[in-house]
Amino acid sequence: MATRTITIARPRPVPQGGTLGTWLFGFRALLKGIAVTNRHFLRNLWGFIRRKPTVFTVQYPEQRFPFPNAFRGMPVLVQMDNGKERCVACGLCEWACPTDCITIYPAETEDEIERHPDVFDINMSRCMFCGLCEEACPEEAIVMSHNVEIGAFSRRGTLWHKEDLLIPVSQLDPRLQHIRRNYDR
Amino acid sequence: MPTITIDGQTIEAPAGAMLLPVALENGVHIPHYCWHPKLSIDGSCRMCQVEVEGSPKLVIACNTPIRDGMVVRTKTPAVENTRRGVMELLLVNHPLDCPICDKAGECLLQDYSYAYGSRRARTREPRRKLEKRKEIGPRMILDQERCILCRRCVRFTREITKTNELGVFNMGDHSVLDILEDKPLANDYSINTADVCPVGALESKDFHHKLRVWFLKKTESVCPSCANGCNITVHHYRDRIWRMMPRRNDAVNDTWMCDHGRLNYKHVNSTDRLRQPLLRRNGQLEACEWNEALSNAASALRQAARDTAGRSIAAVASPHLTNEESFRFGQLLRNLGVGRIDVAVVVGKSDDLLIKAEKAGNARGARDMGLVAGGGVPAILEAAAKGEIRVLYVCGPDLWQTTDRQQLEQTLANVDCLIVQDTVRSPLAERAHVVLPSLTFAEKSGTFTNVAGRVQQLHQAINPPEGQLGDGEIFSRLLAQITEGPPTFDPAAVLGEIAQAVPAYAGLTLEKIGSQGWQPTAGDTSAPAGASV
Repeated sequence: MATRTITIARPRPVPQGGTLGTWLFGFRALLKGIAVTNRHFLRNLWGFIRRKPTVFTVQYPEQRFPFPNAFRGMPVLVQMDNGKERCVACGLCEWACPTDCITIYPAETEDEIERHPDVFDINMSRCMFCGLCEEACPEEAIVMSHNVEIGAFSRRGTLWHKEDLLIPVSQLDPRLQHIRRNYDR
Repeated sequence: MPTITIDGQTIEAPAGAMLLPVALENGVHIPHYCWHPKLSIDGSCRMCQVEVEGSPKLVIACNTPIRDGMVVRTKTPAVENTRRGVMELLLVNHPLDCPICDKAGECLLQDYSYAYGSRRARTREPRRKLEKRKEIGPRMILDQERCILCRRCVRFTREITKTNELGVFNMGDHSVLDILEDKPLANDYSINTADVCPVGALESKDFHHKLRVWFLKKTESVCPSCANGCNITVHHYRDRIWRMMPRRNDAVNDTWMCDHGRLNYKHVNSTDRLRQPLLRRNGQLEACEWNEALSNAASALRQAARDTAGRSIAAVASPHLTNEESFRFGQLLRNLGVGRIDVAVVVGKSDDLLIKAEKAGNARGARDMGLVAGGGVPAILEAAAKGEIRVLYVCGPDLWQTTDRQQLEQTLANVDCLIVQDTVRSPLAERAHVVLPSLTFAEKSGTFTNVAGRVQQLHQAINPPEGQLGDGEIFSRLLAQITEGPPTFDPAAVLGEIAQAVPAYAGLTLEKIGSQGWQPTAGDTSAPAGASV
């Protein structure tokens, strides 16, 4: 097969170094940039002094942004009004979890709901907030909360037990409404 | 033989056979609840209805004998509609218990409900309220709401155990499964009713609310609790046994197993397990390294063998060893010139169904491997009492359980070195000079020979803790220290040695044993695997 050579026009390389004109142009651009930064700094400073900020900054952790209901923070367990968990330890979240971060040991109770988790651990260092546990749950017992502050100083601290995970149902109502609306049940 | 056509597939089957088993054996799945391969035909669930050409209505496949030229269709709209109708009626009163039901995941009602069920109930009436969590026996729980009245369990207690504990009481839609007040379901085979139950109405107390079945991994094995060698499946997860289930083998246990065998797995998960070799120093048993324990045992054996040509050594083998391990033990003892060997076996009650008197899985195999010589346990104890035995090598707990305690303790006081090889801490181990921890049936592979001489395979189900040696490895390492042979133990290779050395096992290979076992005397009678239950 015969080879054919073609010539492609390439853009001219930008000259390095340059004339006095290019130097001056660059210096002017630098001053312009500094002026923008300083203008914003002074305006914010003035607003801060007058206590009327003109720009939007959330002063975390004193201020917090309200998350929308579709937001997925760490999964928590729903606590019923009688103080017990709604979970019946059916194991579907454990099965659905792609990172295997949930560990459940079921046990029998004397209540009308005869089964509950004796152990319900979530390894938060593995959880990736996908929400599949919430979607799999047939009892609306595990939901994604708005809590994202789950840092810990040790590996052990990233392991959350049932007692730490229980959140009263009244605090989780918006999210429960959301999953009822959006998931096919 | 009559020839029939099912869904266009031509099938030859023996005359008089029923349509459902013929279809199942030929890969045509017809949904069914009340039919069970080992029970009589009831025809109460109506789920297996199929279309037969020439018949004005649909017929139930489980109770329709085949005839030559029969044309059967199992996937027509009429059949599918009927299945949907039957499912709807079965689900009218079935509670929505799946999240808390132990059967979920292996429940026929759940499976067929996905295939033929409706997502919405059309009934407005409340579901029937009946007794839940009713204790009907020492090992069984009944949930009457979940029952679909297929009567498999009733037929089981009538036909297999012949104890008649369970029955369906009342009539029509008041029918309810129950026991008579004064007769609990307490027979030796009661947990089989949980296996035959297609839903979660009957549940084993032992497995109640323990684990979801879909997490369980399954390994084929043989029950080690008596000489019958029932085929089982070990269900394990996170290196723990959670339950044991019977596996179909028409030549041994059909589809059943006894409660004692089924619940006899706790010692495997026990916290009393011996995990490290122990050595007696200054009168105290102390943990030590494997090398130290083995070289101590080997030097005691070697010394006694050199001084008295093996006459001062006696061995009591365990009937819980596999054939391969027993064979290796035999090699070790022959090398030392040991003349007094026996297998100690616990003997208990037996019945004509499955339970055999010898309460260990491989007593026959150990004897077949030549571990019986020189008058047995009484002769060993007598010789020890006279001070003729310097080294006594005991495998397993059976010697302690079968011999008179006082006599045994007096005898053991005369022995210079007692080597005990066992899986759990025992009174015998407390008196030993060297304790070698070994593995249970679930942690090793090998073969067992049952009371009828059938050789069957065990597969390793769970992983032992790192560094733990099995019986075969212990014998091999001791043998290596004494004869400088290879210290490794490969069950498959040892089986090859057995096939050459033991005449009754000539020509035996793992392929011949397969999943259903091999009968050495009657030739290859391994039955083909039957339809799934």
